[in-house]
Amino acid sequence: MNVLVLNAGSSSVKCQLYAMEGDVRVLARCRVERIGSDTALFVVETPQEERTRVLEVLDHTSAVRHVLHALAGVLQDGARIDAVGHRVVHGGELFSESVRITDAVIVQIKKLYDLAPLHNPAHVSGIRAIEANLPDVPQVAVFDTAFHHTLPEHAYRYAIPSVLYYRHKVRKYGFHGISHMYVSRRIAALLGRAEERVRIVSCHLGNGASVAAIAGGRSIDTSMGMTPLEGLMMGTRSGDIDAAIVPFVMAKEELSASEVQSMLNKHSGLLAVSGVSGDMREIVARRDSGDAAAVLAFEMFVYRLRKYIGAYAVAMDGVDAIVFTAGIGEHAHAVRAAVCARMTVLGVQLDEHANTQTTPLERCISTPQSRVAVWVVPTNEERVIADETYALVREGC
Amino acid sequence: MAWKKIGIVGLGTMGQAIAEMLAKKQYTVFVQDATPELMEQAIKAIDGQLEKQVSRWALTGAEKKTILTHIQCVSSLDDFAQCDMVIETITEDAQAKHALFARLGHVCPEHVVLATNTSTLSVTECARVTMHAQRVIGTHFIFPVTTVEMVEIIRGLQTDQTTTDAVRAFVEQGLEMKAIPVYESPGFVTTRLICTLINEALHVYTEGVAHPRDIDDAMRIGYGFRHGPLEMADRCGLDAVLAALEGMFREYGDLKYRPAVLLRKMVRAHQLGVKTGQGFFRYDDDGDRIR
Repeated sequence: MNVLVLNAGSSSVKCQLYAMEGDVRVLARCRVERIGSDTALFVVETPQEERTRVLEVLDHTSAVRHVLHALAGVLQDGARIDAVGHRVVHGGELFSESVRITDAVIVQIKKLYDLAPLHNPAHVSGIRAIEANLPDVPQVAVFDTAFHHTLPEHAYRYAIPSVLYYRHKVRKYGFHGISHMYVSRRIAALLGRAEERVRIVSCHLGNGASVAAIAGGRSIDTSMGMTPLEGLMMGTRSGDIDAAIVPFVMAKEELSASEVQSMLNKHSGLLAVSGVSGDMREIVARRDSGDAAAVLAFEMFVYRLRKYIGAYAVAMDGVDAIVFTAGIGEHAHAVRAAVCARMTVLGVQLDEHANTQTTPLERCISTPQSRVAVWVVPTNEERVIADETYALVREGC
Repeated sequence: MAWKKIGIVGLGTMGQAIAEMLAKKQYTVFVQDATPELMEQAIKAIDGQLEKQVSRWALTGAEKKTILTHIQCVSSLDDFAQCDMVIETITEDAQAKHALFARLGHVCPEHVVLATNTSTLSVTECARVTMHAQRVIGTHFIFPVTTVEMVEIIRGLQTDQTTTDAVRAFVEQGLEMKAIPVYESPGFVTTRLICTLINEALHVYTEGVAHPRDIDDAMRIGYGFRHGPLEMADRCGLDAVLAALEGMFREYGDLKYRPAVLLRKMVRAHQLGVKTGQGFFRYDDDGDRIR
């Protein structure tokens, strides 16, 4: 069975084609950027070659048509795409697991537009585009929020009037669930223990960053909230701030709600504190050359992450493994070293040599004496979506 | 059918603002003004507006670049033939508008909707000189276009239902703005009511009832206006307010539309408001009020 994994953004489509039977493997990767223009970028990667073209792509339907046309050249001997799995950012309270897409499911995803105005409409465009091009192929939605459905109420509710929860579903949902689920399952396997018996703090550190407390294979808390703005300091997002700052700044700077939202999402975080970049690689380079603003940005990022790890260790009454994943988590050894330094209260002992090794593989970076295992696990969200899609479609056969 | 390409003829304040708003919403925007120099100035002004928004954290530098790539200057009216809709935003001069609509009607195929952003002139008269009069309509945007999410859709005598429905769908679904359908009438809803308020505020001032600052504060704080009526006049341009009032006075013949004497005097003195830096209040080059 061949499964196409599709991640549709507001002006982009990224996808991977998997062959699921036998040794699961990626047959091709495609991406279309700048959809809606006559200078869209179309990139196809196969094990044999990489091709880039600039062409007119006015909507998601034509983007998907280009993708399918390119993939037809990869599929041989009458093979076809048997199912499509979509990454959907927000499943709200409605979706606690992946589902086969029906008209009713699309209606429900649309009801969540308010909670993810940038993402969910794009996902529906992607679903409709597949419908238009491959009308008979089953589609599956895999939600970024679903893994956090196990959060207990005391973790997901905010201490604000309850009517806001009942009327508007204002609560913590959490994100990066597909990634947190993948690394938590991998860690249990790597430790050789049943998922039910492992307590993990999973640190997904990319341009967007979140931490999850995962006990017994279930997410019990996570740093992102109703939107991906809450929690850790990120590349350009503020993370946690005093909510009273928002109306204060709006009044003082005469900002509108959308301006202050843009400020917190796109002009804050590492970028705002360093004054130069939201990219951790540049922050580390500048920190190493003594740039005071970069030193502060780095220290703030690390300090806030350490606080979350400590809090989640207490929430789970202990921690067996801390795992780092995504861009910063997998590649920034300086961040990992700073986060794990002076964590003696938890019994963490970092193996400095293992930590600085550059390899794309899963690896343990703590010493054998460390009471908490520290791991780097490259995330693979596309693989999770492919697996979930494969399982659901086979089940329905 | 989703529209993708929109044309703007006339790149004054409103033309620039509408082009910027459309580009932000990822439409391909074809723009034209009378001379290449005016077009260059207009693009620079849009760039400046966007830069100001970057400095207020509303946009990132990358977003600004993307927005600008959506705006394309064209040298010939013929290029508008490939648009889904063309919006005219030239000066409020009936003769100039009629000449433009006659030419647009000739170069644009029948399916291209032709719209005027006039605040007071007749849509029906623009349609009369245009080939396929049924596709001519009014779309009255309010400044600042990117934050005032409302458009009056003015149906002329010959505008057909297909055009009206298509423009309404474009405004509500494409632009995500509130569409207010109105039948043609001098000043429609917004210009008629706001100009009457401004004119009355001028009478209040000239009668010595209150200082301009206090008139504005009373209405701003008391009734939740973003700007008081006199600052609103400064922002519209006192010449535009005068022209609108004269037009309504001529059409309705009702004394309540007769422009206040002070308004005429200030226009003669070229104290036009934000655009000249001096009106009822003083303004800097960015249009911010000097307090």
